Amino acid sequence: MSAADAADVAVGDEPVRVGWPAPVTDDHDSAGFWEAAARHRLVARVCAACGTTLHLPRARCVRCGSFDGSWEPRSGAGRLYSYTTVTHQVHPAFPVPYTVVLVELADDPAVRLVGTLDGAPPLTIGMPMHVTWEARGNGTVVPNWAPDEAHGGASA
Amino acid sequence: MAGPDGWEHRDRCAIVGIGATDFSRNSGRSDLTLATQASLAAIEDAGLTIGDIDGIVRCDLDQVKHQDLAESLGIDELTYWGETGPGGAAPCAQVAQAVAAIESGQATSVLVFRALNGRSGRRYGQADPARAGDGAGTEVVGGNVSWDEWFMPHGLLTPGQAFALLAQRHMAEYGTTSEQLGAIALACRKRANANPAAQMHDRKLSLDDYLAGRMISAPLRLFDFCLETDGACAVVVTSTERARDLRRKPALIRAVAQAGMPRGQGGDMFPVLMRESVTTLPARHVADLLYRRAGIGPEDVDVAQLYDCFTITVLMELEDWGFCAKGEGGPFVAGGGIGMEGTIPVNTGGGHLSEGYIHGMNHVVEGVRQVRGESTSQVPGAETCLVACTPLPPGSAILLRAA
Repeated sequence: MSAADAADVAVGDEPVRVGWPAPVTDDHDSAGFWEAAARHRLVARVCAACGTTLHLPRARCVRCGSFDGSWEPRSGAGRLYSYTTVTHQVHPAFPVPYTVVLVELADDPAVRLVGTLDGAPPLTIGMPMHVTWEARGNGTVVPNWAPDEAHGGASA
Repeated sequence: MAGPDGWEHRDRCAIVGIGATDFSRNSGRSDLTLATQASLAAIEDAGLTIGDIDGIVRCDLDQVKHQDLAESLGIDELTYWGETGPGGAAPCAQVAQAVAAIESGQATSVLVFRALNGRSGRRYGQADPARAGDGAGTEVVGGNVSWDEWFMPHGLLTPGQAFALLAQRHMAEYGTTSEQLGAIALACRKRANANPAAQMHDRKLSLDDYLAGRMISAPLRLFDFCLETDGACAVVVTSTERARDLRRKPALIRAVAQAGMPRGQGGDMFPVLMRESVTTLPARHVADLLYRRAGIGPEDVDVAQLYDCFTITVLMELEDWGFCAKGEGGPFVAGGGIGMEGTIPVNTGGGHLSEGYIHGMNHVVEGVRQVRGESTSQVPGAETCLVACTPLPPGSAILLRAA
């Protein structure tokens, strides 16, 4: 998604979703994902022995049993797997409406990631999406998703 | 004795007593008091005494520990206790643990309970501050096999929001409609209107009412959601041999089953969004195992209590339990398939949607009522009742049979 990358913000200039919690970045099984995200690199955990993608990431390959793995780059292109517009507030830090998107990576369908769109944008399951980057109050960078402009979606 | 799955438990144990408190929005008493009252009612119903109880099985989300309930009741010789979950997958697995304890000689009469102040206390419909933080803006969430870091920082916070993602996907794959989900809400409401103990006993619901309900997490509306409830339910399990000497007609436990699914993901809720398909529940795998152990199939089931945290859960369970084909749940319920005259009457006490949310344990109680012939929406001649606690995580189920 070089076009999306070019239009994206620089590292350190990510928009901040004020009040929303940040993910832990020092868990043994997922730290590598967040280290890459801090540099705007989308990665997936892959078994070094057999190449199976392990998502949600964990150390042991469920296919071959290896504990050796690495974080491999992914393009940042995806498809909308499902979504919900939340209109009933359940937490003081999350004012409604907002829309939760569940996105499947175009180059690795074993990986689905969650993102947030403001308000209630028009969406269609299967529509192309691309990764963007935003931050939380403590500076942690997280991947987010937006519909591709070519398909009429509003940018997040 | 070896059976088709290495252990023959078929009809060897029975539920001999059932108990419930009132269901309300504010019980005015503790979880422990609720658990105690439901347990006393179940023991009394069985015609047993507190001294006869030597086992307790709890749900992992219950605030009440087995030793708390034993102390409250005055059980002096507790020889077995157990716990299972996660959450709504527990109730039938709790009964299964009781069967295992009795069949292995570790206990003779086991109390199975669930108590919660689900409306006046910790509300499952709100984000859990222990997991999502209190909104100060500097919280860090997830880690330590909670998996929350993949979901909560993006505003995915509650079961209703997760099931909304499943419902949206089911609609896209199969053309399921809001009106079809509404048919499930209406069926449960009609059963509740006949059940004086149901929280929605006096409240009618029309399809127009359903469609006018405010959107909570699209496509799920207010009446797609179960009722946060204060209350408790309990049952007593013992051997069928002992049950023959007790005062109530026993509900024979034809078979029990617990099952997950291949690559079903871990955690307690959100990781299931990573499954290859989110429109098939572990219910299908629990069903395969339970039917095999019981030696019967869906066509032999007279009535079913299906875990209904949301309407969409019931729709997918109907498909996965074999009452209709995958993807046909919508037309099946809209055509009256789950009504009293339908293929499979469902949630005859009103279920979580309209009786109360006792986290699946009220479904066990209602299942016993059906095979006793005592339900407020009795299916004539019902001999076999399925109770399925098969929402998002792994699931559990039991088949009850009239003695």
